[in-house]
Amino acid sequence: MAVYKKTYRPYEGELTPSRSRFLVVTRYAFEDLHRSRFLNIFYLASFLYPLVCALIIYVQHNVSALGLLGVEGANRLISINVTFFLSLLGWQSMLALFMAAFVGPSQISPDLANNALALYLARPFSRLEYVLGKLSVLVILLSLMTWVPGLLLFALEGYEEGWSWMSQNARLASGLFLGAWIWIVVLALLALALSAWVKWKPAAGGLMFGVFFVAAAFGAAVNNVERTHWGHLFNVSYLIGSIWVALFEGANKTTNGAIFFRSPQGEELPLWCCWMVLAALGLVCLYMLTRKIRGTEVVR
Amino acid sequence: MSGAAVSETDIVFNGVSRFYGEVLGINKVSLTIPPGITSLVGPNGSGKTTLMNLMAGLIRPTQGEIRVLGIPPDHPERLCRILGYCTQFDAFPKGLTGYQFLYSFLRLHGMSDAECESRTLVALRLVGLADAAKRPVAAYSKGMRQRIKLAQATVHDPKVMVLDEPLNGLDPMARAEAIALFQQWGAEGRHVIVSSHILHEVDRISDQVILLSHGYVVAEGQIQGVRNEVKEQPMQIHVRCDRPRVLAARLLQQDNVVEAKLNPDGQGLLLRTRDADSFYLLLNHAILEAGLKVESVAPADDDVNSVYQYLIGGEGGTL
Amino acid sequence: MEPVIELDGLEVRFGGRPILKNLTASLTGRSIGLLGPNGAGKSTLLNTLLGFHAPSGGTARVFGRDIRTHAREVRGLIGYMPENDAFIAEMSGVRFVRLMAELAGLPRGHALERAHEAFFYVGLGEVRYRALGTYSLGMKQAAKLAQAIAHGPKLLFLDEPTNGLDPPARTRMIQLIQEIRDRGDLRLMLSSHLLRDVEECCDEVLILKDGHIAAFCNLAEERRSNRRFLELETRGENNGNFLAAIERLGCQTAAGAQGRLKLVLPEGLEVSRLYEIASEQNVQIRRLSHKRDSLEDIFLKAMETADGRL
Repeated sequence: MAVYKKTYRPYEGELTPSRSRFLVVTRYAFEDLHRSRFLNIFYLASFLYPLVCALIIYVQHNVSALGLLGVEGANRLISINVTFFLSLLGWQSMLALFMAAFVGPSQISPDLANNALALYLARPFSRLEYVLGKLSVLVILLSLMTWVPGLLLFALEGYEEGWSWMSQNARLASGLFLGAWIWIVVLALLALALSAWVKWKPAAGGLMFGVFFVAAAFGAAVNNVERTHWGHLFNVSYLIGSIWVALFEGANKTTNGAIFFRSPQGEELPLWCCWMVLAALGLVCLYMLTRKIRGTEVVR
Repeated sequence: MSGAAVSETDIVFNGVSRFYGEVLGINKVSLTIPPGITSLVGPNGSGKTTLMNLMAGLIRPTQGEIRVLGIPPDHPERLCRILGYCTQFDAFPKGLTGYQFLYSFLRLHGMSDAECESRTLVALRLVGLADAAKRPVAAYSKGMRQRIKLAQATVHDPKVMVLDEPLNGLDPMARAEAIALFQQWGAEGRHVIVSSHILHEVDRISDQVILLSHGYVVAEGQIQGVRNEVKEQPMQIHVRCDRPRVLAARLLQQDNVVEAKLNPDGQGLLLRTRDADSFYLLLNHAILEAGLKVESVAPADDDVNSVYQYLIGGEGGTL
Repeated sequence: MEPVIELDGLEVRFGGRPILKNLTASLTGRSIGLLGPNGAGKSTLLNTLLGFHAPSGGTARVFGRDIRTHAREVRGLIGYMPENDAFIAEMSGVRFVRLMAELAGLPRGHALERAHEAFFYVGLGEVRYRALGTYSLGMKQAAKLAQAIAHGPKLLFLDEPTNGLDPPARTRMIQLIQEIRDRGDLRLMLSSHLLRDVEECCDEVLILKDGHIAAFCNLAEERRSNRRFLELETRGENNGNFLAAIERLGCQTAAGAQGRLKLVLPEGLEVSRLYEIASEQNVQIRRLSHKRDSLEDIFLKAMETADGRL
């Protein structure tokens, strides 16, 4: 008979490829998020609007369905145009803000609360990989909420309408894609920076909303007092809206931005200003992250 | 009062219990602590900090009475003049420098500005922080923080010093200096109450020891005395020599030797005996008659460590 | 033995202020102790070898890999047990160690197996599914050790491993460390303020002071050369005569701590002579041991050297 003793064995096996190791962080974060029933439900609920849109597109092109609705002949119930897609983007992006505010705070602060980051970085794992891993969590979640359904709907409409429609309206697709990405990057960086700096999770979530609504209110106040439009620079939703309008329509503006992301005509600011402010915001967030994410603190 | 005389030179606990809701802190503790260095020893959670907090008047007992040099702890205006407390945890008012920390707390005692200043400087020099006094406490290393806490507890020259793990984080030289300081205070007739996990240091410095476990005092007094009282366990002696079997054979011939255990490496012997004095004389003879080369002889349970093992054992351990 | 760590004129500065100055040494023991007063640079040295600080001059090699060019590889070979708390409160013990092992490059299945093994090895088998935030201090220390060994490193950095542990937990931690040392395939670097811990666990000792190497010695050799120094505790009516008798034999004596007697045996004199005298005089020799404080003396001597240089 053999008796086995529990002992330490060295590891002689294979290692996982170094380049994709940051995804370990992402995978664990998703496993943790999955445990929250609220988040699961919220996430599923966020697909309602795209689903309704898909139905609308389907109904538009399905004569028998139209007949059912009793509106023969009027085959343009709702026009599938810029406004349609901008509304989709706007609505989903607002939901994305909520998602980031729920998910963001719990990404980095638990690792900093008890100094676990020192252990992360004591492994063949760099700060960049850590941030990339955490960013991926938000990027994947928010992408699936915004441009992925958007592009799918675009493809659906294109399938119904034909290739010429698609090439004519290619701007819609690129606008959806790029517009969503800009919003995702801003949200993700902001969420992570707040998570790294603010320990109490509800406070971090609240600050996410604060950055948008409070700053917007401040901008509106500036506008009123100074009788100018430059206060809009504080209003991130305005900035995003302006950029979206530019992406979707170029020079011929017909819309006022998207729902929640209003960019009223007549109150425009130069586009490069909008880009600058957003870039500055992103850089500030990156700086905040680099300050907090280190292996060890040096106290002078 | 329950009839015991109130001693002006001792710290007296009389049937003291302290509960936190349902949770037990300490139960029915009766102690008299004379001047000198007294060590509190016990696993984490055994009631050491509770005992210290009770002594310092920070919490009140649920039952029983405490007198510190005749003063009850619910008179802080009298107690805090003669007692200094160095806690286990790191907590400082923000923004103060080392000097300010000591000075401001000293002013609360009502001393004049000049006196506070001189005492502060003396205390800073005593703990070796005279150069770092002008820097904020938040920038201190762990060892320096420990030292400023110690200074703060003793700057007002108290008669009773309650120190909770005071050597934590100190490097070997600072430890030796602090120990020398405690010994000096003990020799001056102060009450120095130290809690520590490092048993060989406790052995070296204490005059008496209090062992706690699960909120009960399991033993108290001088270590040798405590050991002798634990009569169920025969004394253990460890002998390292070149032919332990021969030694074992000879020793087992006497009936006060109850057990002889060979070391796994074959070079030593662990013996248990009921009568230490006759055993040692016997040992001497046995070694000479057999012509053995002895490497070392050591009582294996003459210290806090072994008493701890017997009385508290591994129960408190969490590994 | 193959050198574990080679320091080659290593220099580290923080904002212009030199912390480590021109360190050069070759460490080959199974278990290396790192000692020194606060501020001597022990943590900085460990952090530099881990790659948290970039050296401003010189370099160091761990198992032959240069820390400047192969930092990532070096980190894969090291397991780090920091002095401070390091855990994620909401995660269970096993999940945390699994995460750490996967980050070190282990595939999923192996990481999970080894996480469980590590927990049993450090004695936390019963509590491995509980959240780390609920662990007591001793358990947290053991969990830190578990995460350090789970990915099978070749070198362990242990920073104050017995910090805050009560006596039985300390004993168990020291036993674990000694077990690891005795295996031979996992080397150790132990940084501690407790000289006894270092004495019990380490073969070689590196003493730092003010960023220099104040001393570097091999403890096993030190112990071998201490055969002539004895400490005696006696009891009997004729203690004074006993003392006189052994002095006549040529021993130098001195009073030691706790009423014991320290003496130096001259060449040629054996311990059995002492026993003969004791027997003649009816004196019990209650305690006989060879000098134990070698490390304390070495340390104090190192601290006294004028500018701490070797």
